[in-house]
This record gives sequence, structure tokens and C-alpha cells, in this order.
Amino acid sequence: MPKSVTPRVVAMIALLAAPAMFAQETSQLRGLNGSWERWPSRSAGLGSDAAPPPVDLNIAPIPEPPLRPEYLDDWRAERAEIQRLTEQGLPPANNYSACIGDGMPAMMQGMFPMEVLETPGQITIIQEAYNQVRRIYFDDELPPAEDAEPRFAGHSVGRWEGDTLVVDTVGVKDYVEFQNVPHSHLMRINERLRLVGDDYMVNEVTIVDPEFLTAPWTWTWAYLRWPEYKIQEYICENNRYFRDPELGYQRLRVD
Amino acid sequence: MHSRKFRLCSYLLVTALAWAGPGASHHSFSPFEDEVQIVLSGTVTSFQWTNPHIYIELDAADENGDIKNWLIECANTTILNRVGWKWNMIKPGDEILAIVAPLRNGEPAGLLKRVRLPDGAEHGNGGPAGPASIDFDGNPLPGADRGGER
Repeated sequence: MPKSVTPRVVAMIALLAAPAMFAQETSQLRGLNGSWERWPSRSAGLGSDAAPPPVDLNIAPIPEPPLRPEYLDDWRAERAEIQRLTEQGLPPANNYSACIGDGMPAMMQGMFPMEVLETPGQITIIQEAYNQVRRIYFDDELPPAEDAEPRFAGHSVGRWEGDTLVVDTVGVKDYVEFQNVPHSHLMRINERLRLVGDDYMVNEVTIVDPEFLTAPWTWTWAYLRWPEYKIQEYICENNRYFRDPELGYQRLRVD
Repeated sequence: MHSRKFRLCSYLLVTALAWAGPGASHHSFSPFEDEVQIVLSGTVTSFQWTNPHIYIELDAADENGDIKNWLIECANTTILNRVGWKWNMIKPGDEILAIVAPLRNGEPAGLLKRVRLPDGAEHGNGGPAGPASIDFDGNPLPGADRGGER
């Protein structure tokens, strides 16, 4: 080795090259970029309204959460009460009626289309409803769940396993509940996203929580590609809903 | 047909097929009485192109000729852009007809089902809000058109 190329120089080159090599690895486009609408739950105005290409994804209903027995009865009672009051025209106030977005994991099946952006070292997902954004980092480590700052989208890191994008998430706020299921600060969300043909994407979601769940809670969500769609702005600027002080339902301010 | 300002509106109470679509909105629509839809005719006093909902405020007369200012809830900007509305297609002063499902608590507000603008153009309110069960004359629509609902 010539004297001019010292081990220190080699080390510097390696240090400079390593992030670039890593970024190249994580920035490789895997075809997720662009707009997606949720599938198969569709309704006029929620998505493209286009006839979808034929597909057989076998999307099953989300199973009941495997809550610990001491929580399961309360959860079932709460769900039944919400349904009963809603049928009476008195739906209980919730995060939505306070203009608070889904957070994780519900924002991954938000009511409006979402956009996936693949950039070096990062995938960003924007759900149109409530302008919700989550950032999935590849060159990062997940904070310990017990130490993660509570957020709506939590903290997410991703990696590729072949053609599957694997994302782990911790640090979701306690009151950001999916289907009214309580969770602790130790909850972890694992997602496995992959394309099915050119037009569909599936997301196998698994939630574990040592304090509330006896087993992993797993289901699959799906998305239909909508290449020409541009995500719109959504600012909750004119919320006329409030919690009725007596009955607690979502009441409309009329005056 | 609605050239006269503050034209008397017809309160046409019609029992309609209950609609049970997927919950997919900012909030549950159950405070609105979907089974009882009415036609409002009046003058727009405000058109709010906003989220989480778009609102039309409408001066409409009741059966006694008394004017009430109705609050009409529409879907939201992103849904209605997708089904062909435009942010400036309604203006204060416009005379319009609106089929709405009124609030159950009797306040003068309703969920829009279908609107007819001064130029005769008609628009639904997107899938989640559900279809009109009556026409603009208040006649029931048997096997009602589901307003684009799939």
C-alpha cells in the first residue's frame, strides 16, 4: 500500500462510502410510490370510483382482539354500548368528532386515499384525512418502547425482507385506540407490506402488547393503486361537533 | 321554480328505506333522521367550503311562512371534489332546493342528500352520507337511487 493511502484515509473513505451504500440499499424503489385507496371498503367519493382489476385477496374481517380476560368483557360492553347509542342517534363523542386523526394503526386504513413516498433512507405515508403523516426510517433504531415519546403515528423503522417492507412501530399515545381496544405504552405494531401484482398492496398488521393482549392480534389490510390521484389538503378548520354536556353524544352546533 | 325569494318550502315528510352504509366519515350520521327526509327551498346565506364538513346555510320558510336559517351539512371538501362539486359552485343569494335528513332533536339542521342549483344542476352528497329517498317534489323514490353508493 503506498504511503499516501494510510489506514486513516482508508477508514475515512469507508466512513464516507458506507452511508452512501446504505442509502442506496434503502432508497431502491420497490414500486410503492404513489397514491392508494383502501380496499375493499369503498363508497362514492371516498376513492377512485373506478372498476377495479380482478383480484382475490381473501381479506378477512378483523378478528376480536385477544384481550386479557379482565379487559375483554369491558371492551365488549363498550362496543355494544357504542352501537346501541349510535342506533338511537346518540353516538358517543370520540377522537374523530373532536377533529383528532386516527393515529396508528388506524391511519393505515384511513377513510381517504393515502400517498406513499419512497426517498433515500425513508418512506413517508400521508393519509389525506386530517393530513396525517408518518415517517418510516431505515437508517434508524427504534427507541425502547417504554422510553418512546408518545405520538399519534408513533416511531417507525423499516427494512426490506426481499420484496416485503417490514415496519415496526412503538410509542403510540394511550388514547389513540383502534376499535376502542386499550393498549399500554409497550404496544408494538409490526407491518408487512407487499405488492400483489401492479395494482394492489397488502399490509399484514400484527399488534403485541404484554399488558393487554394474551397473543398477537393480526389482520390484513389492502389497498388499490390510484396512480393519477393527487392527495388533497384536509385541515379541520370548521368543526361544529361538540360533546353534549348531558348525554355525551356528538352534537352539532347549529347556531 | 324557485325564483321567488323565500319561497315557501314544503315540509314533505316521507318514510324512506333506511340506509345502512359503511361508517366512513368524520362522525356517525345517526343524529340525523335518515328515514324522514324533507325538501327545503330557500336562499343561500353562506357556503362554507371547509373540513371536516362543508356547510350550506339556507333561509327557508316553514309551513307558516316563518323564515328559519337552516344549517345543511355536506360531506367534506375532498369527497365532494371527487364527486364533481366545485368550491365556488354555490354562492350567497342562490335559490336552491335541498333534500335533507333533519336532526332528530328538532333543531333546524340536516344532512344533505341531494341539492339542485339555480341552473338546474343536481349533485349528491357522496356515498357515506347516503342517497335521497325522495325527489325534489317530495315523492318517494321506490328502490331509491343510492346516490352513487356501491
